[in-house]
Amino acid sequence: MRNPLSAVEIPVVDRFLGDGYVRNVMVMTFGSLALLALFGALFPESVAGDLSGAVFTGGMVAATARIAAPIVLAALGGIFAEKSGVINIGLEGLLIISAFTSIYVAYVLGDAGILTGGNAQFVGFLAGMLASMLLAFIFGIVCIEYKADQIIAGLAVWLIALGLAPFLSTVFFGSVNTPGVGNIGWQYSAAIVTVGTVVAWWTLDHTAFGTHLKAAGENPRALDTVGVSVSKIRHAGVILSGVFAGAGGSLLALGVGRFGGSGETMVQGKGFIAIVVYLFGNYNPLGALGAGTLFASLDALQTRLQQLGYGIPSSLVETIPYIVVIIVLAFVGRTRIPSAAGDHYETEE
Amino acid sequence: MSRSRPGAIRSRVTSLLRRFAEISGVDRVLIALAALGLSVLVGFFIVLGSGRVAECSTAAWTMPITGMGFCYDPFEVFFVLFNGALGGPFYVWEPAIFNPEWLPITLPWLGFMPGWSPFNNAFALTMSETTLLVFTGLSVAVAFRAGLFNIGTQGQLVVGALLTALVVVALAPLFPANRVGGVILIAIGILAGAVGGGVWGAIPGALKAYADANEVITTIMLNFIAANVAYVLVLEVFRAEGSSVVATADVPEYAQIGPWLFPPTGDFAEAALLIGFVSLVALYLFLEHTSLGYDLRVSGIQPLAAEYSGVNAKLTTVRAMTLSGALGGIGGSIWVLMSEGRWVESIPDLGFDGITVSILAGNNPLGVLPAAALFGVLKGGALQVGFQTDVPPELVGVLRGLIILFVAMPEFFRLIGKRLVPDESEVEPSSGDGNDGDGVGGTAAVDDGGEASA
Repeated sequence: MRNPLSAVEIPVVDRFLGDGYVRNVMVMTFGSLALLALFGALFPESVAGDLSGAVFTGGMVAATARIAAPIVLAALGGIFAEKSGVINIGLEGLLIISAFTSIYVAYVLGDAGILTGGNAQFVGFLAGMLASMLLAFIFGIVCIEYKADQIIAGLAVWLIALGLAPFLSTVFFGSVNTPGVGNIGWQYSAAIVTVGTVVAWWTLDHTAFGTHLKAAGENPRALDTVGVSVSKIRHAGVILSGVFAGAGGSLLALGVGRFGGSGETMVQGKGFIAIVVYLFGNYNPLGALGAGTLFASLDALQTRLQQLGYGIPSSLVETIPYIVVIIVLAFVGRTRIPSAAGDHYETEE
Repeated sequence: MSRSRPGAIRSRVTSLLRRFAEISGVDRVLIALAALGLSVLVGFFIVLGSGRVAECSTAAWTMPITGMGFCYDPFEVFFVLFNGALGGPFYVWEPAIFNPEWLPITLPWLGFMPGWSPFNNAFALTMSETTLLVFTGLSVAVAFRAGLFNIGTQGQLVVGALLTALVVVALAPLFPANRVGGVILIAIGILAGAVGGGVWGAIPGALKAYADANEVITTIMLNFIAANVAYVLVLEVFRAEGSSVVATADVPEYAQIGPWLFPPTGDFAEAALLIGFVSLVALYLFLEHTSLGYDLRVSGIQPLAAEYSGVNAKLTTVRAMTLSGALGGIGGSIWVLMSEGRWVESIPDLGFDGITVSILAGNNPLGVLPAAALFGVLKGGALQVGFQTDVPPELVGVLRGLIILFVAMPEFFRLIGKRLVPDESEVEPSSGDGNDGDGVGGTAAVDDGGEASA
């Protein structure tokens, strides 16, 4: 299928995005926003007017940043893992474990009077990243050293975290929901997502490590031939996925100020959406940022529409992003996964 | 060029399939058992560790020699988990071990509790969960065998359940309110569930076949869509009058699948398990002994070879996903007709659990029954752990994840086996495939886990 937008030229952006597919995603995202603004300005009394009034408000930006943080950061992590050749479907689990750990550590520090307020939250943030890193490291060992099926092991990571976080919360706090530790501002989410995206993009495209990482996923034998250990690079990719997803999970929980562990926990499938987001962005960090922001803004928008009193059931509006994903996957374009992703690599003697 | 010799390719593929089947036989059972043992062992230490940090007035268990006290007794937890799932037949933790009163009633030499009957509510819950997981497990397994990862069984179950409830409620007035009418309604309801789930499964199948859309993503998306759309439909259109929750009207009593021996309060019906068993055998025969089933398996293992030997890969993909969805949909029908008696918003995660069941079963229909039974026991036991001990029943969720993690790494058990048993039959471990060494490793690991947990 040809995307009619692929012919559109964007002078500055094209230099950063050598990738036609990512450009499509970006053009669609910002194009629809611009169109909405235009119609809203022309017909302020219409639905479009209401919509643009809802979209271009401070509250909307804050909500979008909060929702986008775990999705985009987990997606960045997923890119590192999959580019190196390990499909990490356990991002959801990494988000859950970091969300819980960040709140737990922040609470314990505050409760013991060691650190309070922002300092406790900051240490909690780091602790969440560390927990996610550890779980990712275990996942890496299972996949790389013990040659486990990556999809199944990733599923196990999700299930373990899904059981462990509410279990530990009940052990420590007597309930699957933790007490509150105070929430952090949305500016932190926005800043960390931006920095994370730039760092990921720079690392992948402009460092030797990034080149090695991509080689481990595309052509491990070539990497082996030049004397770089494929399994070391893959371990690094998986651990980095833990670092990024951990930052996302910590931001998610600290943004709310507590951890909710009932049902599918407060993460509620954001790790799976992250997978969609990086496929959508064709493994490009900037594409993932665009797709993740699009997703988050749709989610924030439907909350806002509820407040404006549109009589559409919220559950129905919630399905829009999911339907969009299916349509885009089917009709706009397809992504190409790294050719050695999912395969084990045996070092040649 | 390969097209000219389909016969030769077919025989090569057959030998490939046979080799695959051999790997997946005894070794898979051993690996599953080893994984269970090992995850119980890890769970033991998790209980111990969390029992150390939790706060309580008196220690539930004191470690011998060290005298260290723990808030949770790990032995009791696992005893209650498995004993509770059966409704507590064994009396080890009761004070009345030698109470003579039960002597005439039960079999004392087997150590059964006085007054215990297999037809109790706790065991009914275990069996009910087992029955439902048989369907969702088969659903995931058949897609897996065709090389498709159907994460969408949950959505297919939701759609099937809704269609079953609506069709049966709508058609109920047309049939006599007796046994015969009930059986006809049940049959129609199951058919409706299969159609609903099948259509919902065919969508990602067609998207995969004709638009090359990754089925993992589309099925995840369709799960969300199914849950939300079904919820809105029931909320806005089909909600029963005066219902405090979002639910459809009740299916009439005579059109529900009721128990023969178990108490009616237990939400379990033997007939439903029988339907599950028949589906299981039918699916096994279909996969192993029909040409369609053969096509399906070949496309799962060697898509290119399948294409060359004349299999229509696109159509096979759609067929496999439709069959998978239909099984998930029937799971939804059984959930409505056996457990709830209506469609209600709080649908359990049976579809996701089906993935774990199928993985544990090695995607073999025959393995689905024991795997479903194991997860049924974990589910039924979790409730009792919550009732009878201070340990959070979420522990069972951790165990579930650990089992899947260990099942995913057969290489791990192979290495343990090599270390424990010096290898006489030095077999080349080519490309990570299992070999006879697996069996030895698996057994050794099972023994370890068994000793530590018993």
